[in-house]
Order: sequence, then structure tokens, then C-alpha cells
Amino acid sequence: MPVKVLAFAGSPRRFGNSETLLDWTLAAMAQEPDVVIEKVPLTEANINPCRGCNACEKLNKCVQRDGMDILHDKIIQADCIVLSSPIFCMGLCSQVKALVDRAQVFRSRKYVLKLPVVPPERKGKRLGVFLATAGQDWPHVFDAAVPSVKCFYHVIDIKDADIRYLMINKVDEKGAIEHHPTAKSDAEKLGRDVILELKKRLGEGQAS
Amino acid sequence: MTITVLGISGSPRRHGNTETLLDSFLEGAKDAGASVEKVVLKDLNYTPCRGCNACHKTGDCIVKDDAPVLYEKMFASDIVAVASPIYSMGITAQLKGFIDRAQYLWARKFILRTLDFPEDYIRKHKGVFISTAGQGLSHVFDSAFPAVTALFHDIGFDYVLNIVANNMDKYNGIKNHPTALKEAYEKGQQIVRELENSTKNA
Repeated sequence: MPVKVLAFAGSPRRFGNSETLLDWTLAAMAQEPDVVIEKVPLTEANINPCRGCNACEKLNKCVQRDGMDILHDKIIQADCIVLSSPIFCMGLCSQVKALVDRAQVFRSRKYVLKLPVVPPERKGKRLGVFLATAGQDWPHVFDAAVPSVKCFYHVIDIKDADIRYLMINKVDEKGAIEHHPTAKSDAEKLGRDVILELKKRLGEGQAS
Repeated sequence: MTITVLGISGSPRRHGNTETLLDSFLEGAKDAGASVEKVVLKDLNYTPCRGCNACHKTGDCIVKDDAPVLYEKMFASDIVAVASPIYSMGITAQLKGFIDRAQYLWARKFILRTLDFPEDYIRKHKGVFISTAGQGLSHVFDSAFPAVTALFHDIGFDYVLNIVANNMDKYNGIKNHPTALKEAYEKGQQIVRELENSTKNA
């Protein structure tokens, strides 16, 4: 079985710094054998924000019919979910926050309806990757984004210890990340390491 | 001069816990003599920031919708209270979408240098954040504050107060909370009176 990677390019700006970081990571993943990658730019994904209606607590599905209908299933099926976002105003850009908030349906499934999000045998065999870029050079510029990212992964059954992070500050103008001393090599190493780790974990599952 | 207070409700749900807490704050402000207005983001027509950075050159947003109009309304207010429930450890995507649109003001301040708020101006403009969370975690609001700080920086407001109530799931709603609504009302009165006194003395 190939390793399935679902990657969200979260920035409203196509081919900017956070998407470049994502592309480097995905290119390294694609170098490994038996990897299937799907990249979803949120600019084309048609994801409305959560309406806070809480209907998912009863229905086990969202009342909104939009791009999440397809992505919901893909999120469950993927072995690795990569999320990339620029930092806007000290947080995730609102497009990514909309995706995170729409994961409420998984939270309802898990904590209100007490139903599994992924089958038990897949637990611990999924990894999350969060990639971010920020124009500001403050080291704490990512701090407020991370808790929301953890929420997102938590409700889709990827625990904190299974989230990998690569967050690059001080890259503002389009293309600035190309000049960063380590971003590209770090992204490539991360991509490779994540696939190797997943193969190890998935292999263990098959052996038993 | 009558103090003007603008409340911005960032919840997608009408008349829920956060908006009720905001209403209580605005009621207090009104009873202290302020002129009060509430804007509900979900009724406005605006799109999130596109990150195109055109405003870095012009100082204006190329997207013409209700967002810049609301920023003008904020500039015309003495006190702005921004309200959002906590979704996934942060403000709602709806409020974040609005805050991200302040980029043109940031550009005016830091790139074009056409906008500057003197200390004295900032002191006379007060920013308040109002929030509720289902979770009981004491740190549940922490990741919301930086975006709100960024917003008030961009509009030259002195961000002085958080009115927050967690554990809504346990209380089964703000109306059952022992103190939150009363506190919000009192803080609404207090901030108006304090601003009135400080401008009188100035």
C-alpha cells in the first residue's frame, strides 16, 4: 500500500513562501518509492467557515455542502496531513483557520458522539506536518498559531507527539524563502524523514 | 462630548454566549452615558485578505467591500470592543478574516509611513476583547490575544481590557455563569467613565 499524503497549501497567495516550503517538502516525499501525494490549494478548495451551529453534534456531519464534503473523507484516508500557512496578524491566515474550525465535525464525532475518527488499527500510524512562514523576525511569531494546529490534528486522531513542525520567520516578500540559508534543506529532510517514519509504522502494522 | 462605543461581534452564531457577553458590556457602556452601536460580522459582506500586498504600495485595499467601511467606523469610535468565541484555541475564522484585512493600515504605518498615532491619540482610544470558550482550560484564550493586539495596534487603540469567560460547556451557557454578565456590564460602565474623566482632565 502506498503512503498517502494530503497537503494543504493554505495561503491566499499562490506560490508564495509558505507554499514554496510546502513544495520543497512534498518534492522530497515524492522522491521516496510508493508515495501518493495530493496537494490542495485552499484558494481552490471552497471551504466556508464553521457556522457554530453545533448540528454536527447530533448529525455526525456538517450541514454545509461545500469543498469539505470531499476533503472530509480525504483527511480520514490520508496517512500524512500537511498543513501550510503564512502567519497573518500573529496567527494562521483566516483561510487555514476556516479549515481548522471546520474540523469541528471530527471533534463532535470523537467527544460528543464517542465514535471513532479513524479505525483503531490506524491510530498512531498517521503523522501531521505543520509548515509556516512569517514576515516578522520575532521568534514567538508562531506561538499563537500552534495551539489551533494542535487542535486540528488532535480531533483527526493525530496526537501532539506525531506532529512535525517547520516554521521559518523573517521571510516576507514573495520569493524571500529562496534566500533562506536552511529552509530548503530542512524541508527536504523533513519530507524524507516523515515518509520513512510512516513506512516504518505502517510496516509494523502489516507484520503483526 | 459623548463617548462612542462600537461593539463588533465575530461569532457566526447570533445571540450566543459571546454576543450576550458583548451585549452586557455595551449595556453598561450605554448606562454610563455612551453612544453605543453593535456590528455583527456575519451580516457584513467581506472576504478574507488575499495576501496580494498591493496595499504595501498604495496604502489601500484593492478589495472594495464592507471591511474598510467597518475600519472607518472603528476610527470614528472612542472605544471598540471586539468579540469572538474561541474555536480551536483561537478567534473565529470570520473575525480573523476581518483582522487580516487591516493589512492596509499596517502598510500605511510601517511601509509607507503615512499613518502615525501619537501617544495622546492612543491614550484616548480604548480597545476591549470579549470572549467565551466552552473549554475550562485557563489558557484557552491565550492564542486569541496576539491577533487582537495586532488589530488594536493597527488602528491606534490602547488595548486595555479582556472580558473573558471559559467553561461555557460546564455552565451550559453564559446566562448560568455566576458573575460574567454582571462583570461585563460593570466594566462597560467603568471604561466609559474612566475615559470621560481622563479626557476631562487632559
